[in-house]
Amino acid sequence: MSSPPVSRDAANDPTNDQTSRCGAHPNGRVRPLSPHLQIWRWHVTMAASILNRMTGSALSAGAVLVVLWLLALAFGSEAYATFTGWMGSPLGLLVWFGLTLALFLHLAGGVRHLVWDAGSGLSLKAADALSWLSIVGGIVGAVAFWALLFASGRVGL
Amino acid sequence: MSRETKAFVRGVKVSERHGAGEWTAERLSSLILVPLTLWGLWGGWTLSGAGYDGALAWFRSPVNAVLLAVTLLISLWHMNMGLKVIVDDYIHKPGSRGALLGLIGLVCLVLAAAGVFFIVRLALGSAPLPAGFGV
Repeated sequence: MSSPPVSRDAANDPTNDQTSRCGAHPNGRVRPLSPHLQIWRWHVTMAASILNRMTGSALSAGAVLVVLWLLALAFGSEAYATFTGWMGSPLGLLVWFGLTLALFLHLAGGVRHLVWDAGSGLSLKAADALSWLSIVGGIVGAVAFWALLFASGRVGL
Repeated sequence: MSRETKAFVRGVKVSERHGAGEWTAERLSSLILVPLTLWGLWGGWTLSGAGYDGALAWFRSPVNAVLLAVTLLISLWHMNMGLKVIVDDYIHKPGSRGALLGLIGLVCLVLAAAGVFFIVRLALGSAPLPAGFGV
């Protein structure tokens, strides 16, 4: 059995690590950890990727609410009035605005990923631009959708 | 079959088991959901403030009922794959991972079955539940 190689660079000596940059593997060897969230400098492609995962998770809750909406509708006018009473309250409207925002962001983010998967827009400049475009476009889309809902009188406080 | 078998397409090493299929399914569901999501937003716009009667009238259109069922099912399929990737990334204990994946799959199946059941009743103009279920 050979012992783990000892680094000549004292600052990077994994056996004497004070920086939490290293971790012990199950086999007992100390190895440097790959950089984690708090180590990376934030950049927009990373933020957009994390945002896509967060909005996707939020939309799972949205799927439950949509099925609850169907349930209320199928149970008749009284059940539906109860449901729309909750969802039309300020808190309910806030929840649905959040879900709309998540939907627009996830839609724009999904299109961005499809563009990347097709092999386009992968230069640093284009990737940054696409990330910003999907974030700003998603927010603008959701805000515009709700502004129109209020302006048309379909939704009110 | 030997585990050493390597599959190559045009000189590039490709997945030998289910990885490539999962990748394709994720992209395919995304691609289908782009137009369906835009249609769903339009539906949400129509149904907002339409009330009970407006919603029932919307469901009597077969196009709306069928498109909503398709959107729901493909969304749940997409959701199942997305949540699975998150569990795969962060949950490493095989027992917890398996239990979570089973739970997520079960939730998706229940949502799909219940959703389609309600949509079919609404499309057929059935009497409000729990009619005919002995309650």
